[in-house]
Amino acid sequence: MTKGHHPSTPTRRPDRAALFIAAVLAAIAGLIFWDVSRLTGTAGYSQVGPTTVPYAIAWCLLGLSIWTVFEALRGDFPERERQEVAPVIWIVAGLAAQMLLLNVAGFSIATGILFALTARGFGKRRLWLSLPVGIVLCFVVWVVFAKLLQLSLPAGPLERLFF
Amino acid sequence: MATFDFLLQGLLVAAQPMNLLYALIGVTLGTAVGVLPGIGPALTVALLLPVTYRLDPGGSLIMFAGIYYGGMYGGSTTSILLNTPGESASIVTALEGNKMARAGRGGPALATAAIGSFVAGLIATLGLAFIAPYIVKLALVFGPREYFALMVLAFVTVSSAFGDSTLRGLTSLFVGLALAVVGIDQLTGQARLSFGVPELLDGIEVTTLAVAMFAIGETLFIAAQGDKGPDKVEAVRGSVWMSAADWARSWKAWLRGTVIGFPIGAMPAGGAEIGTFLSYATEKRLTKHPEEFGNGAIEGVAGPEAANNASAAGTLVPLLTLGLPTTATAAIMLAGFQQYGLQPGPLLFATNPQLVWGLIASLLIANFMLLVLNLPLIGLWVKLLTIPKPWLYAGILLFATLGTIGANPSVYELGMLLAFGLLGYAMRVFGYPIAPVVVGLILGPLAEQQLRRALSISQGDITVLFTSPIAAVLLVIAAAALIVPLILRARGRGEVLAQLAASED
Amino acid sequence: MKHFFLATILAGAMALPAFAADYTIIAPANPGGGWDQTARSLQTVMQQEGISGNVQVQNVPGAGGTIGLAQFASQQKGNPNALIVGGYVMVGAILTNKSPVTLKDVTPIARLTGEYEAVVVPAASEIKTMGDLVEALKKDPGAVSWAGGSAGGTDHIAVGLIAKAAGVDPTKINYIAYSGGGEALAAILGSQVTAGVSGYGEFESQIKAGTLRLLAVSGPERIAGVDAPTLKEAGVDVVVENWRMVAAAPGLTDEQKAAVSADIEKLAKSAGWQEVLKTKGWQDSYLAGDAFNAQLEKDVAATEGVLKDIGLVK
Repeated sequence: MTKGHHPSTPTRRPDRAALFIAAVLAAIAGLIFWDVSRLTGTAGYSQVGPTTVPYAIAWCLLGLSIWTVFEALRGDFPERERQEVAPVIWIVAGLAAQMLLLNVAGFSIATGILFALTARGFGKRRLWLSLPVGIVLCFVVWVVFAKLLQLSLPAGPLERLFF
Repeated sequence: MATFDFLLQGLLVAAQPMNLLYALIGVTLGTAVGVLPGIGPALTVALLLPVTYRLDPGGSLIMFAGIYYGGMYGGSTTSILLNTPGESASIVTALEGNKMARAGRGGPALATAAIGSFVAGLIATLGLAFIAPYIVKLALVFGPREYFALMVLAFVTVSSAFGDSTLRGLTSLFVGLALAVVGIDQLTGQARLSFGVPELLDGIEVTTLAVAMFAIGETLFIAAQGDKGPDKVEAVRGSVWMSAADWARSWKAWLRGTVIGFPIGAMPAGGAEIGTFLSYATEKRLTKHPEEFGNGAIEGVAGPEAANNASAAGTLVPLLTLGLPTTATAAIMLAGFQQYGLQPGPLLFATNPQLVWGLIASLLIANFMLLVLNLPLIGLWVKLLTIPKPWLYAGILLFATLGTIGANPSVYELGMLLAFGLLGYAMRVFGYPIAPVVVGLILGPLAEQQLRRALSISQGDITVLFTSPIAAVLLVIAAAALIVPLILRARGRGEVLAQLAASED
Repeated sequence: MKHFFLATILAGAMALPAFAADYTIIAPANPGGGWDQTARSLQTVMQQEGISGNVQVQNVPGAGGTIGLAQFASQQKGNPNALIVGGYVMVGAILTNKSPVTLKDVTPIARLTGEYEAVVVPAASEIKTMGDLVEALKKDPGAVSWAGGSAGGTDHIAVGLIAKAAGVDPTKINYIAYSGGGEALAAILGSQVTAGVSGYGEFESQIKAGTLRLLAVSGPERIAGVDAPTLKEAGVDVVVENWRMVAAAPGLTDEQKAAVSADIEKLAKSAGWQEVLKTKGWQDSYLAGDAFNAQLEKDVAATEGVLKDIGLVK
């Protein structure tokens, strides 16, 4: 791993990521134009109707997209730190697992998995340890918030074992 | 004077040892729940309200006040220490507060937030007691056009949270504005940008966006740095306590924050966030240390925190004098008051003085207990930062998702949390500021609706926007805030601003 | 639409197997609102009167109750222990949001409570009677601005009906929608608008304090102890009631439906429920069986008509 010393690309080369951002901005603007054009512009007594503001926002986004292209071509975007991809994937997997399992497995198990996978993303490799720790911790949290404070947190097999 | 008698009587009752204990319990519970990202004061009060029903009316009113103030304050702690604001009113606190915490100055940041909240709460509660009838008249003068002018001013001040690039600041703001369009248009009932998905009809929840962008985006970003960063930040550098210089820089910011936050909180469509934006912008303009803004300036924590708490007391002005709940928190408080036989409305101060003054005394005591509880805890809170990163961030995600699930246990809400978390991460990577997105989501609909209401009432006559004196004054201030820096720069006094622009994260 | 079906199937697949609660009541709104309060009052009274041993309330907020309704219709099909709270606002929301699930897809049991609309002006207004207001409306409909709740809601419908009854084109009304009664009230008190329309309860304390003038109420009869004519007495032939009801899941057998109806009737007649109505200031408008179904159909048709007149539904 190279620390602090990353390959400095020549600044004059067009920044491809920035061009991509410009394209995304333009796409959002297009999406707004497309969606809002279906609305009936019943403004009533105000000349500013439900479509006026979205159109204005879309035009501005389009302008910002062009501005971004200019900055990208001039290489005005700040240099980026090199990003590690693996930790991001671990954490996103944790969040996705929690989302999908929440209503099936209950709060403790789903969130315990999120906990363990996040710790994995930060370098704690021993899942056999962090997973049970996470589930127990989440169960305690569930008891406190769902039972004591009446927050509606989904219960699963584990929770129903005790309550 | 009868007013003072009632207040003294209320204070005497509230200061009994048992009632002080109830206040302490309330403040502790409120802080404990309010500290969770995604659970703002509204949900905190709603969750904990039943706890108070078991006590006698006096005790439960005091505990209730404690929960309210505790919930208000809880959000700023995570904002400062972990850069994960618990609710929208403490977003601005994160801007400077987290920079301070990373530089080992988390202690002074938390202290200025706690003391600022206390000072603002004290002044604003006294304001509620003595000038509520006048404030409420001012608040009612605010119609759609005045609100629109206020929003214009707020938009101008947002630029102070733009960071070092106008392009990227504006892009963030407009992404927020675009997200704000999603959902049913309130004035015509038509669905915009919801693509037939029923879950999108109510728009994007501000707390979901804020928690995703800050808590999840930040976690992903830190994780993606791999082993480059240090495993933990240096929790304390220098004293945990505020230095003489910190005091000297904070007290004026507290007072200014209070003066800004209280009346805006009292306005039926004001809300706590706008006061914090305006306060931050004011402090940035007036500071003698502009180079520190963006790198952890203590005024940038002191002012907005004071404004936040002052506006919380301000919300009670229309609630008590008109029976108008202007925020979700106020709506739940109204339900709480009814439980104690308090029927807020124009006749409340006349027909039920003991209860009103009892409540105001309770608020004063609760405010005091908040300080008593939190100052000694600062040392402990700062220790949070010494938890090894894997466990710290796993815990942050646990509590951030807990808050979201607790508010609305829906798979969609978690999906949005993940999607906006990734957006927040990508924006960090490319150097886009986060706060303007959330600001755009909050201010966008307000500005649009007020403009359309104003024009609808005037049947399309645009001049009404400028012909009310208050609206005109606000617009002039907004114009000045835009133009004055340009003039200063032209006169060659722009080094400060240039330096500001250059100071990077 | 595809998203929607996918969503309901997904949500349905993940639904918790219902455990041994006697009744689960869905409140299709956030905590604190009218439907939530109705659901929680039902919960309290059902347990207290021994109608049901264990009642759970679940909030499924969103889009005027249509998200909760859709989820209820798909997940609880055939479940005799599930109830949902709804009301007149839902009728309008189903139409304006083009919801694929309507009240026909659930089993309406009974109307429980109701609230009448009130028409008010600021105390300083030159308009003294409902007649004055109608006069002003006829002269220049755009110059009369009305503050009320969200577009397509009960308040908006009431204004549309008033205009129609007064012989004014309902598409010409200048209705200013606010997010809730509170914000609208501030606009009326501050004389930002000409008149205001909302539930009587929203205005009650201001009317008593003399800061608002009550012109008329929208019930078929005057409200006891309130000195104001009905709209009908004031020459505007309109009756609007913002009612709330309770419905059961679709696909129930006749016996199951009868059992639920019996429980709800027992509730509505109980002393505990009457006490709740009194403390909350709700009108008792209990109506069940075929009479309720007929009334419901009439309301849906009338609402669709007026929403088309205002131009909110094509």
